[in-house]
Amino acid sequence: MISKILRKNTSLAQIIGFVLSNFIGLVIVLGGLQFYLDARSIWEDSDSIINSDYLVVNKKVTSSNMLGQSESGFTEAEIADLERQPWVRKVGRFSANDYRVTARVEQGGRGMSTYMFFESIPDEFVDVPKSQWAYQPGSDEVPIILSKDYLTLYNFGFATSAGLPQLSEGLMGSIPLSLRLTSEDGSRVREMHGRVAGFSNRLNTILVPRSFMEETNLTLGTGSGRAASRLIIDVSSPGDVAINRYLESHDWEVAGDKSASSAAFMLRVVVGIVLGIGTVITILSLFILLLSISLIMERNRKKLHQLLMLGYEAGRVARPYSMLAVGIPAAGLLLSVGAMFGLRSYYLLPIEGLGAHPASVWLSLLVGIGLTLVVIGVNLITIRRRIRSAFR
Amino acid sequence: MKTITLESTLPRVFVNERIPASDVWQRRIEFERGKSYLVEATSGGGKSSMCSFIFGARTDYEGRILFDGRDSRDLQMGEWLSLRRTSLAYLPQELSLFAELSAFENIKLKNQLTDHIPEERIEEWLDRLGISSRRNYPAGRMSIGQQQRVAIIRSICQPFDFILLDEPVSHLDAVNNRVAASLIVEEAARQGAAIISTSVGNHLDLDYDFRLKL
Repeated sequence: MISKILRKNTSLAQIIGFVLSNFIGLVIVLGGLQFYLDARSIWEDSDSIINSDYLVVNKKVTSSNMLGQSESGFTEAEIADLERQPWVRKVGRFSANDYRVTARVEQGGRGMSTYMFFESIPDEFVDVPKSQWAYQPGSDEVPIILSKDYLTLYNFGFATSAGLPQLSEGLMGSIPLSLRLTSEDGSRVREMHGRVAGFSNRLNTILVPRSFMEETNLTLGTGSGRAASRLIIDVSSPGDVAINRYLESHDWEVAGDKSASSAAFMLRVVVGIVLGIGTVITILSLFILLLSISLIMERNRKKLHQLLMLGYEAGRVARPYSMLAVGIPAAGLLLSVGAMFGLRSYYLLPIEGLGAHPASVWLSLLVGIGLTLVVIGVNLITIRRRIRSAFR
Repeated sequence: MKTITLESTLPRVFVNERIPASDVWQRRIEFERGKSYLVEATSGGGKSSMCSFIFGARTDYEGRILFDGRDSRDLQMGEWLSLRRTSLAYLPQELSLFAELSAFENIKLKNQLTDHIPEERIEEWLDRLGISSRRNYPAGRMSIGQQQRVAIIRSICQPFDFILLDEPVSHLDAVNNRVAASLIVEEAARQGAAIISTSVGNHLDLDYDFRLKL
């Protein structure tokens, strides 16, 4: 009976309109956000080993340093100057092995052996759990981080042509790698095992812990220290133009694909715009719903007053409106979440082809639920105020 | 609730006016459970205001209105609503029926709050007041006299300690007036409640314990 009295001024068309506007706003927010999360990995491949704020720089290889006429390593003065730049948080030096390394892989009775090299950077630049990146002095096992490019080269270049099985990252980690470290003059030899601790696509090298590098260079090396040929820099804002200008003026280059980061930047800008529009629509739809409920309640003010005069509880009198205030945003949320999944199934396959790893949908769901709860909360508070004002 | 006390109460609109001597305004007057009161006034004397003040629908008055000694201004909305369900009954002069609901639905709207009166009794009352044929008629299309009878029945469909009746029989003939009075007295007596009735001339036909001039 209460609904019969109080619902008189609401039409189904109105309710559908509210749900629709709410739905459109949320779909844009959720769809945009989820697309960003899913597509982001194409550019910012989840490199869990090297933070995206780190840049690896080296001097350009020119004909003069090729012929050994000029030093390809960084001088102390150059490093000191770099450290003074405002966008530099810290600088780490790459150090290389000063001895020979041979690696041997045994697989299904077939062996494969190759010369290789090691490099190391300060451990604070490596985002691998300490327990996995620890080297015990004197131990015969050493963790190694490989460039993902090597795995790709092996899988798609070497393995297919040589008729060898392709390897996944996980499998690669479990294959025993025998290492033979020999000093330059061949007088000292050390045998050990390598354990692949991870792959990085931002570092084109074979990385070992710094402590291991120091120990082996000391015991097997010639003792002649070499200048670092590459530096890893922790920068405060990777998009800063000052960085590019500085590097160009010194003829240094950044390792890894720079276009990826600008594409990622563009993606972020576009998604920002889309999310902004979606948020504005959501807020507008909230506002319209709020206004409409207020208007209906204002029109029904006398009836509300009469019901309160009869002794009806505020919550009971508010119920027809609370149901609208909760039901409409909830319906909008359900529809938009459904639409988001629909949209996702539509774009997921193509972008996976581009190398994206689908992200979890929880963040988008939480954002949707959060926005909806805010909308519902604001509505309920408004309704409560209106009821109070109808009391007297 | 046992007593309602008006202490120096005066509608704010009267504050700067000379008002004729009154038994209610600017005095101390106590309404007691179980008694019956007739408040007689001329039009514009403020009897509807008095009912609204006591019922908590308005607060534009000077002085205090005490329920068992507690200032009714201190009551929260929830407490007022609870009093209106179980302790204070009210028949407003403007009746406040819902035009789109039928006579019976209007009564049920009040009764379903406490399920105080069985449906057969309501049917019997409708019959005694001569409006059972209008039971399912939208209240908005009934005559004022018929609406008044519906509102009288509605007002006693709840437990109460005090019933405020604002000109309850202004549109009723002498016969219906007597029937209405007997219904109200029966219900009030059954609950040991007080009756406070106002009138500008045609008053509810019963033996009042007190007659007050407003």
